[in-house]
Formats: sequence, C-alpha cells, structure tokens
Amino acid sequence: MIPRREAIVDERNFAYMFYGFSAAWALVAAYIISLVLRERRIRSEMEALRRMIESAKE
Amino acid sequence: MRFLRQTFVICQKDLRAELRSKEALNASLAFSVVILLLFSFAFDPTAEQTREISGGLLWLVFAFAGALILNRSFARELANDCLDALVASPVPGSALFLGKAIANFVLLLAIEFICLPVFGVFYNVRWTTHLGALTLILVLGTWGLTVIGTMFSALTVNLRLRELMLPVLCYPIMIPCLLPAIQLSTVVIAGQPLGPDMMEGLRLLVGFDVIFTVLALALVETVLIG
Amino acid sequence: MIALAGASALIIVWVLYTIFLHVPDEKDQGAIFRIIYFHVPSAMTAAACALAAFIASLLYLWRRDLRYDAVAVSVTEGALLFGAVVLVTGMIWARIIWGIWWTWDARLTSTLVSWLMYAGYLMLRRAVEEPTERARNSAVLSIFIFPGVYITWKSIEWWRTQHPGPVLSIRSGGGMAPGMESPIYINLLALLCLAAVLAMLRYNQEKRRRELDSLRRTVHAI
Repeated sequence: MIPRREAIVDERNFAYMFYGFSAAWALVAAYIISLVLRERRIRSEMEALRRMIESAKE
Repeated sequence: MRFLRQTFVICQKDLRAELRSKEALNASLAFSVVILLLFSFAFDPTAEQTREISGGLLWLVFAFAGALILNRSFARELANDCLDALVASPVPGSALFLGKAIANFVLLLAIEFICLPVFGVFYNVRWTTHLGALTLILVLGTWGLTVIGTMFSALTVNLRLRELMLPVLCYPIMIPCLLPAIQLSTVVIAGQPLGPDMMEGLRLLVGFDVIFTVLALALVETVLIG
Repeated sequence: MIALAGASALIIVWVLYTIFLHVPDEKDQGAIFRIIYFHVPSAMTAAACALAAFIASLLYLWRRDLRYDAVAVSVTEGALLFGAVVLVTGMIWARIIWGIWWTWDARLTSTLVSWLMYAGYLMLRRAVEEPTERARNSAVLSIFIFPGVYITWKSIEWWRTQHPGPVLSIRSGGGMAPGMESPIYINLLALLCLAAVLAMLRYNQEKRRRELDSLRRTVHAI
C-alpha cells in the first residue's frame, strides 16, 4: 500500500489540470446523455407504434 | 486460368466503356490540371519550395482526381440493372473486382503520366532524372489507391450520398499508402536516386498493396453478393 | 451489469483519491501531470474497444447473427469516445507543457487518423437503411480499418523519422517512480469496466432499435 504522506498538492498548473479532467469527464457525460436521449426517443416511438397496432387490431 | 480470363474480360469491358465516352477521364484530367494551376497561383512557390512540396502536391492531385474515376467504377453499373446482371453471372466477385481495379489502375496511371509534364512545365521542375524509380513509385502507390478506391466504390454503390461517402471513407485508409509515396516521390524528383534509407518506404508501399489486395479479394464477394 | 457499474464507480473514486493525495509531485510539470492517469488508460481502453470491434465484425461475417453487429457498433462507439478523451486530454496537456495545441508527430497523427477512420464507420452505418446490408457493409469496413490502423501507425512513424521534427516523446526512458505507476493500471481497469458498461447499455439500445424496426414494419403491413 502506498504510504500516506503529508501531501501538499503542487499548486502550479492546478487550474489547467482541473480543465483537463473536466474535459475528459464532460466527453463521457455527453455520450451518456446522448444515449439517454436516444433511449427516450426509441421508447416514445415504440409506444406510439404499439398504440397504432392496438387500434388497428380493433 | 478461367479466373484470369474472366478478369481480363471485365477489365477490357470497363476500359472500352470508359475510352468510348471518356467522361470520367476528361473530368479527372481537367480537375488535375486546374488544381495544379491553382496551387501554382495560390502559393507561387520558389524553386526550393517546389522541390520540397513536389511529392505532396502530385499525390494530392492524383488522389483527388482518382476519386472521380474510382467513384464511377461501380456506380456506372447501376443504370439498367447492370450490377445485378454482373453479380448474377458466373463471374466470381473477386474476378469482377480485380478486373475493375486493373481498369481503374490503367486509367489513373495514364492520368498521372499526363499530369507529370504539366507539372514540370508549370513549376519548372525536371522530373525525368530518375524516371525508372519514379515509375516504380507511381505504379506501387497508384495500385494502393486503386485497390482501396475500387473496394469502397463497391461498398458505397447503393448509397444515396455515394459521392460524399467515398472520399470520407477512402482517404484516411489511403494515408499509409500516400505518405511513403509522397516522401519517395519528393526524393526522386529532387534528383536523388533511391537509397537504402528509402527501402523502408518501398517496403511499406509493397506491404500496403499486398495486404489490402488480399483483404479486398477476400471480402468483395461479401459486399457485392452478401 | 449493475455490479460492473458499481465496481467501476468504486475504482474510479479510489483512483481519484490516490491521484490527488498519495502520488508525489512530478518535478517539472506541476499538477497537470496527474492527467496522465486518464490519458494513458483511455488510450489503452480505446485500443481494446477497437480490437473487440474487429473480432465482433469477423464473428458477424462468420455467423451472420445480428447480435454480433450490435456488439460491433457498441464497442466502436466506445472506442471513439475514449479516443476523443485521449486526444482532448492530450491537447490540453500539450498546451500547458509544450505550449502548442497540436503537432504532427507520429503518435498524435496516427491517433487522429485512426479516430477519423472509426468515425467513418459510424457515418457508413447511418447511410445504409436495411439492417442486414448495414451490418454486412460495416463489418467489412471494420475489418479493413483494423489493419489500417496498424499500418497507418507504422507508415507515419517512418515518415516522421524522415523529417527531423521536434522531439516530443513523453516517455523519458521509462523512469517513473514506483509509487506513480500503479494508479495507471488501476485506472485502466476502471476505464475498461466503464467501457464495458457503456457498451452494454448501447447494445441493449441496439436491440430495442431492432424491435422498433420490426414494429414499424408490422405497422406498415397493417
């Protein structure tokens, strides 16, 4: 196990590191959001089609 | 033997069709000459600069002009259900592909050899110093472009956006063929013979040609027929 | 799948903790150095996804089961996502350390070109409507792209050594202090789990889309 030190995180370039991390996670989040949106669209279209089939059967 | 004969027949058919109408040939030639002119205007390169960019300029022109020819390769067969007839015939898909690839290769090579003197005139470059080496590079590079282009022409033949999809798909995959060709052409046009440090580039070209020819021959039947 | 998601979440939290509190500081670069813990594992994850796509495409052409096609598209999207992460984090890191957003050195160029090839794969899928034809054509394209990636890397490496370029190697003779290296591999595990979760989500979505297609066809028939 890595021994714990009195770690004082280097302050240089701290802001840029933050931008870097947030850029990476923003990309992942964007992908997940696109998945969710597509899911919603697929579900609503399936509902609409199912309703059409039901009404056609009657 | 039969395979070769079928390939030859297809190749003849395509060449004859193209040479009779000369549509793609003329368009391609006009396009290449215009690009060469435009680059000369836009950058007005000095002799030194021209020597540095000669390979890149030439191969970009060949790639763009080639796309015009390669696009029509399978697209020509769509009218009157010719593609269905070819697929239904006893010619195997690989013979069909190889015949078309060879026809495209001949056309593209002809265009390149017409472009070279134009390039020499407009840019004041002597390209004849190592003509044998230059021909070898042109042949290897053009075969790489042709194989990829003909394969992707078969892949995209049924799409509406065929003219857009073909370049988008082709050019990234053509990069490992274009880069050694550009580098070697620049060296040879600048007057140096092909030395031992250029052998790696030739090996890359040959490797690219072999690998993608084999892949294409193996997979084209799947693409055309299913 | 929930277990995988939970596992990957836990590992990522642990890695973040380690990155920020345990790993000693790098001499020259300051805090930005810690971005390596996402940059390098993302690259390895993208490569793993590309390999998975290649295998799925081969399996589809062999078995003609549309499920393999669904797997192929899911992992290809994962490869594109993690490839984008590599490129973006790399650009930010480069801007800070080297002062430039981009340069045409071997690794960056081949990564970008490979990313473009896989983006072309998605474009092709969007252009073909019929599912079997789409699956077949994209499988062939995927099989073409995979060796293309390797050959592109080799050719660009050769090309760059012809031109004397700026020396831009990140690896400085393999000298990472022992405490610094393990979080890379641990984060690799976390990102692979994340990639697997995303691929599974996308695969389920692809199944639902096929259901949708068949429903549409039923409605048209009626």
